[in-house]
Amino acid sequence: MKTIVGIQHRSFFPWLLMGPTLAILLAVGLFPFGYSLYLASTNIVLSKPYLPRVFMGLQQYQDLVTDPDFLNSLKITATFTISAVFVEFWAGLGLALLFKRTIVGKSVYRLGILIPMVIPPVVVGLIWKYLLYPHSGLVTYFTTQVAAIFGLPPVPFLSSPQTALATLIFVDVWQWTPFMFLILHAGLSSLPNEPYEAADIDGASRFRVFRTITLPLLKQSILIALIIRTMDAFRTYDTIAILTQGGPGNATQTFNVWLTNLGFIAFDASRAAALSLIMFVIILVMSFVFIQIFTKTDPLLER
Amino acid sequence: MPVKFTRRQATMLLSSAVIAAPYIARAKSAAQAKLEGATVNMLAVQFAHHNHLWDQIPEFTKEYGIKVNIEFAPFDQTREKTLLEMSKKTGRFDLFTTDVMWLAEYASAGYLEPVAKYVKNKDLTTEDFDVNDFVPRIYSGTGVYNDTLYNIPFDAGSVGVEFRKDWMQAKGIAVPERFDGKWTHTAMYDAIKALHDPDKGVAGYVTQPQKWFWGWTLTPLLYAWQRPETIGNEFVDRDWNVTIASPENLAALKWYLSLREFTPRNDGNFGYGEVVSTYQQSKAAGGIHYTSFIADAFEADGMPIKGRSAYLHHPIGPYGRLDPFFGSWGLSISTDSRQKEAAWTFIQWATGRKAMEQSGLKGGGLVRHSQYQNKDIQAAMKWNADLYPLMLKFADPDERIRIPEWGEFSNEILGLYGNKAWLNEMTPEQALEAMEKSFTKLLKKGGYYAKGAKNPKQNWRDLSYYDRAPADWT
Repeated sequence: MKTIVGIQHRSFFPWLLMGPTLAILLAVGLFPFGYSLYLASTNIVLSKPYLPRVFMGLQQYQDLVTDPDFLNSLKITATFTISAVFVEFWAGLGLALLFKRTIVGKSVYRLGILIPMVIPPVVVGLIWKYLLYPHSGLVTYFTTQVAAIFGLPPVPFLSSPQTALATLIFVDVWQWTPFMFLILHAGLSSLPNEPYEAADIDGASRFRVFRTITLPLLKQSILIALIIRTMDAFRTYDTIAILTQGGPGNATQTFNVWLTNLGFIAFDASRAAALSLIMFVIILVMSFVFIQIFTKTDPLLER
Repeated sequence: MPVKFTRRQATMLLSSAVIAAPYIARAKSAAQAKLEGATVNMLAVQFAHHNHLWDQIPEFTKEYGIKVNIEFAPFDQTREKTLLEMSKKTGRFDLFTTDVMWLAEYASAGYLEPVAKYVKNKDLTTEDFDVNDFVPRIYSGTGVYNDTLYNIPFDAGSVGVEFRKDWMQAKGIAVPERFDGKWTHTAMYDAIKALHDPDKGVAGYVTQPQKWFWGWTLTPLLYAWQRPETIGNEFVDRDWNVTIASPENLAALKWYLSLREFTPRNDGNFGYGEVVSTYQQSKAAGGIHYTSFIADAFEADGMPIKGRSAYLHHPIGPYGRLDPFFGSWGLSISTDSRQKEAAWTFIQWATGRKAMEQSGLKGGGLVRHSQYQNKDIQAAMKWNADLYPLMLKFADPDERIRIPEWGEFSNEILGLYGNKAWLNEMTPEQALEAMEKSFTKLLKKGGYYAKGAKNPKQNWRDLSYYDRAPADWT
């Protein structure tokens, strides 16, 4: 006997199986998204529930994009993301290539390299906060001694608008280069030997082998690593909040730090929702660009 | 005829008396007895000197049978965590520690329970609470918003500056007394200049230019720099027009920025932690402090700088005004608490005479006459000697004006543009103009300029408002 939930109902049965997952996805994805849209269209300030609520239309978005903080945060977020991912990629690739060679104690080194990646970002922030603490931090102390030899002042790691962002990029590179290394190392390990043997017979130089064999074959791993890290760097919050809180001034105020300030200092839920939706659009555009590149470079994914 | 006891009888009587003594002194009422077994949860700021009070909680639990769980938040996250919890309206926390500068924000949003009814409830409040033992200005200043009492104080203090008196004496600089009229802004500037010794790695002064802290670094100077006719208009005039960019405030900001020449290099992101560590390591001759932090930050046993500092008031301004800075913390009950009576029972115990005395002896905050007059506390914390007259007569609980917008203004406007001026990203004039513009926008958003707006009272214009006897708040 056929039943409506039976396996024979090919149009209905898959939906039945996917139902619970879809329900959860809708609850945790679609509902918050819809609620954010609603919040952004009003003027809700959590610390002022007594303010009359009014429909604002697109006013919150307009106020945000015309706010000088918007351009500042966009510039800082872009600088942070691009610089950190750029350095992490080349450092990770360099390490991965190094580890392709025969090295004594390779597994021990590999373990050591991976440690920063498994430390929670909050802990990373605290570790570097103490290392860079004025006067008494280990890094501050030694760099001050070295700088003094050359008659230079102490390095203002986190206290100067000119150096604070660079310090944050350095900390991000320290923590996430291992991730790049891990993915690229796995990618390199899976490459076939035949092209290399052929190149060896042809007498190709190392650089030519790298440029014409390794890089093209590694492209998929590179793209995956870049996509994940770019998204992640764009959303970095914990380490910045602990090390600089967006300061000095607003020299390190990325979108996420600004969003937190709007949400938890001004308690302006509507503005924060509008900014989070703008960030969502930016991430969406970035993802689209990456996916386009991904599909164009992988013939298997082309339709 | 004298009553005679055997030795055994006398021993038993004495033992019973010793065991019963605390219960006789603070007898539990029937209403309090019903609360036995309750658990109250508190979200509290994490300050070392508050631990002198929290450390006594096991005694409270033993006495009342009420358990108290505390979740701590760092100072710079306390407001956001508290407001987030309050706005969720889950009642997860029955009690909050409330800084005076955030009272208006919490109370106006309806997140705090009025507590005068509990103060007057003899069934829930023991004699140990002794409401009129609180210093009136501390009690009213900490707890009252819009004529309603929400918050009972357990810590109060003022802002001041500490200087190495051994170094001052070595340089022939007279070490002033706290309220010495000679401790003016020029005297302080001269002392900083004389003590600044970059060759030895010693800065003349260390402060906290990070944007989070300008509410208690610049505000005292804005107050001290007012002319008699501009007092009260530090931030707004009587009609709520923003007056931050006034010539007096500009002069105060310029003086503060002039200290940069003598502060540690690249201190743009220094917060209070950096101030304390720099001073503790003898890398600065002077610095800023909040009086309640002194005992644990600079005078704790084993501290190398213990006994070497003079704790002074902020300097007197160019027109002879002494800054009346007032800071305090109180305990307040969440409107969403389902354990309000148990929460109050804890408050009346924690802020009662006995617990406050014990806390004060170890360096905790002082809020009661009996604490200030306690000889042992006076001996242990000599630097507080002049705090009592300040709290009795001069302190201005509304120095950081009592409006719901203060938290946001302090961080995102005063702090942000102040910090930019410190970093030379803005001139002092530009910074004050930016503050004025942003603050006006914030007040406008808060409905201050709307027709028929019911704006908060400007009680800072008549401080006698805060001198009402504590028992009179209803």
